[in-house]
Amino acid sequence: MQNVFKAFENKFLPVAGRIGSQRHLVAIRDGFAAILPLIIIGSLAVLINNLPIEPFQNFMVNIFGEGWKDLGGYIWNGTFAIISLVVAIGVSYSLARSYNVDALAAALVSVASLIIISPMTEDGGISLQWMSAAGLFVSLLVAIVATEIFRRLSQLNLAIKMPDGVPEAVSRSFASLIPAMIVLFIFGLLQVLFIDVIGVSLQDLIYKAIQAPFQNAAGTLPAVLGIEFTKSFLWFFGLHGSNILEPVIEAAYLPGLLENTKLFEQGVSAHDVPYIITKPFLDVFVAMGGTGTGISLLIALFITVKAKQVRSLGKMSAPAALFNINEPIIFGLPIVLNPMLFIPFILVPLVNVTIAYFATSIGLVPKTVVMVPWTTPPIIGGYLATGGSIAGSILQIVNLAVGALLYLPFLKVLDRSMARNVTNASTSKKVV
Amino acid sequence: MKILLVCSAGMSTSMLVTRMRDSANERNIEVEINAVAESQLINNLENLDVVLIGPQVRYLEKKIREFVEPKGIKVDVIDQMAYGMLQGDKVLDQAIAMTN
Repeated sequence: MQNVFKAFENKFLPVAGRIGSQRHLVAIRDGFAAILPLIIIGSLAVLINNLPIEPFQNFMVNIFGEGWKDLGGYIWNGTFAIISLVVAIGVSYSLARSYNVDALAAALVSVASLIIISPMTEDGGISLQWMSAAGLFVSLLVAIVATEIFRRLSQLNLAIKMPDGVPEAVSRSFASLIPAMIVLFIFGLLQVLFIDVIGVSLQDLIYKAIQAPFQNAAGTLPAVLGIEFTKSFLWFFGLHGSNILEPVIEAAYLPGLLENTKLFEQGVSAHDVPYIITKPFLDVFVAMGGTGTGISLLIALFITVKAKQVRSLGKMSAPAALFNINEPIIFGLPIVLNPMLFIPFILVPLVNVTIAYFATSIGLVPKTVVMVPWTTPPIIGGYLATGGSIAGSILQIVNLAVGALLYLPFLKVLDRSMARNVTNASTSKKVV
Repeated sequence: MKILLVCSAGMSTSMLVTRMRDSANERNIEVEINAVAESQLINNLENLDVVLIGPQVRYLEKKIREFVEPKGIKVDVIDQMAYGMLQGDKVLDQAIAMTN
């Protein structure tokens, strides 16, 4: 069995390495990571505005008047409403930095390109319609293309011959001007092509042809089961599955969350928003205590395992697991390449996804409308992510319990085999 | 000596950092140890002696080696078991052995 796993690992590692360090995917991931604070702050503003606790709402109205929600609305404008714009900055900056070219300049050029290629409103304003979730794919595309062209031109060192006596700083400033100029010119021409010749915006085109179909496909139960399976499978080999899959997960599930939050902010109940599967859905209902639902594993461990060494590892890992970090268990128990834990480690997240999916789709639990940090402890996370619903916390408890039950028999077998090894070791010593 | 631990978000390695510092204090070893996210590595290269990679991102080893070894910085992946059991002393030994 170990040999089979080893052979698998040797096949995997190079592939995981290529994906996990692929420059553009890494830039997308880091770009998303950079804007996460904005998403969380925007989410909190929405949550506070719409907290379904009547005394709280009455209290706020009594003190600040009916207009108290304006504050959250303004914060919304600077976060969720322009999320695609800030993603472009993050992705472009990360990508340019990986090439060791001027990252700030690249990010500025990317934002300029994005605005050039964006539709305008009738009265000459920037259309916010595409600055939010719907424009996400175009933002990623523009940030990458603009940065790639910019850095290639920058690396060519297009120097302009200046007459003698012109300070070097002056000629250098011209040299950096040319790449930016060419990029913006290209995007300007593209916009002429799309708007004036074809008569449709790039945003419209990409959204309908790529983003919407991709989002719909990713939102199905089989797709999310596939993603969760891959994540656990990679972790079983001790590879950071979540990190490797992050660009895909963000691109697939962030727009749905943003859409949910937007409707929730407009007063739609969290039950009636459209998207079941979002990033926080996976974080709060599945990855409780990290991949493989680590807290379920720990509960089962404390119930059934007698081996002292394992129990002390459990105690040592518990505080981090509460914040959904479980590397100590994964490498210490270990779960990595441990045939006895392969089945539950893969199975528990899949069962959790399925339970949460159906509990949400039949309306027992509201959909996720708030982005909570992935380090938010369970019970609290479920309450916050569902827009302040106890049902969210209850679903977490149910999933934890089901997960623990599934882990129990496997840990029992593991414990027994460890006990046997210990006795074997001591008897063999006696023989010697 | 300056040691940097690298993982995905710098969170799980930070648990190990605390243990390594404790071990260094006990043994009176003068050493600076920190943990960062892999994307922040580039900003933390100054005076660095050793980069230790969390085993869960060991697929980045080649990329990180190519990037920092020309600067004279030693690179290795943290032993999986020592990482899981948060054995700060062992990982510190690993780092010290790399510089010798």
